[in-house]
Amino acid sequence: MDTNIVATLFPGIASLFVQDPVIAGARIALIIFGFFLAYLGFKRTLEPLIMVPMGIGMICINCGVLFLDGGKLGTLFLDPLISEPGALVDIMQINFLQPIYNLTFSNSLVACLVFMGVGAMCEISFILANPWTSIIIAIFAEAGTFVTLILGVHLGLTPPEAAAVASIGGADGPMVLFTSLMLAPHLFVPISVIAYLYLSLTYAGYPALVKMLVPKKYRGNDIWFDAPEVPKTKKFIFILVCCALLCILLPMAAPLIMSFFLGMAIKEAEIVPYQDLIENTVLYTGTLMLGLLLGTLCEASTLLNPKVAPLIVLGVLALAVSGIVGLLGGWVVYWFKKGNFNPVVGIAGVSCVPTTAKIAQHAAEDEDPFAVVMPVAMGANIGGVIVSAIACGVFIATIGMVK
Amino acid sequence: MSVEAYAGFAYLFTAAIALFMIGAVVLLNKIMGGNSNGEGMDQ
Repeated sequence: MDTNIVATLFPGIASLFVQDPVIAGARIALIIFGFFLAYLGFKRTLEPLIMVPMGIGMICINCGVLFLDGGKLGTLFLDPLISEPGALVDIMQINFLQPIYNLTFSNSLVACLVFMGVGAMCEISFILANPWTSIIIAIFAEAGTFVTLILGVHLGLTPPEAAAVASIGGADGPMVLFTSLMLAPHLFVPISVIAYLYLSLTYAGYPALVKMLVPKKYRGNDIWFDAPEVPKTKKFIFILVCCALLCILLPMAAPLIMSFFLGMAIKEAEIVPYQDLIENTVLYTGTLMLGLLLGTLCEASTLLNPKVAPLIVLGVLALAVSGIVGLLGGWVVYWFKKGNFNPVVGIAGVSCVPTTAKIAQHAAEDEDPFAVVMPVAMGANIGGVIVSAIACGVFIATIGMVK
Repeated sequence: MSVEAYAGFAYLFTAAIALFMIGAVVLLNKIMGGNSNGEGMDQ
């Protein structure tokens, strides 16, 4: 049979034989990898909200390669490298995900929408109950970001690239997207993919870290504390004050800060239609699009960039250091409060809301079924989100100081 | 500035802003009245 007929009938398969063998091999590997991600999401081993659409996107973008005009290889999903306005308008009429990518992804809108949803799910009372404890633990748990920045530069990344990958240490997906789009847009695909993969794995890795660094007899400590009854008016005013303060101090991160506190403000103001819209439609649409676009951006050629290998090491290191130093923060508070604290709460300073708070609660429960650390852990968790946003703003505003 | 010095500065700057923000909230709470628990908030 004529090879041209085969190429016409089965361009997805034929393209594998005309491509550079390395790219073709990477395509096959990514199809298999996408299958595993989707399956592990389905089995709830990884976060299903991101991994199912991301896995399917990864499979389809690497299967659906075809011959475009002039024999060039491409897909009908999206082309992240188009920048010339005329070509962009043309391609928007062909690639079905291109409008979503250009109008919501490359400008960080999707990160802000997800962050608004996170804000709407956060209860400010938790951090108001223990403001100093929450923020101090969160500051400790941000250490991975700064350690990774140093290592990244020593591994050959430029300071903005190293800062972008270091933001994984904050363990906050939208923050990683925002920072990498601002500081290293050419690396934001691998950084975001690595970040979301590792964030999904924290549920498996952090409990082991807690067991390693907090001896059994301390893990079941109950925490006695006065839960303040803060009136809604006060909570609302606190949200406005925090939002204004952070925006004036860190205008570079203002879109993220505004999104997070807007979500919180709508929740406290009890504007039910907006709350429903943000908690359900906006958050879930944003997360679905995020997962799908991350998957479809995983083309073999993008991920074969030689800079991706150090990112894989740096990402896991950032999360490990943040977890270890967060637990150290838990011990510092334990010592400072003369034993009226559970050091496992330190892990909740890593702002993976609410995963790390749940890990702290489970670690305590495993030793004492009546131990309750969740409210304090949630405070540290929300503190972690705020400190991550600050760190991201500091990086974007000042990374130029590194020579 | 070397990357080590910058990382130290950025960490301290991040911590300072976070503590300033939380301090402002605790202070505001005191100004708005009410007793406080061990960490300065209403009970």
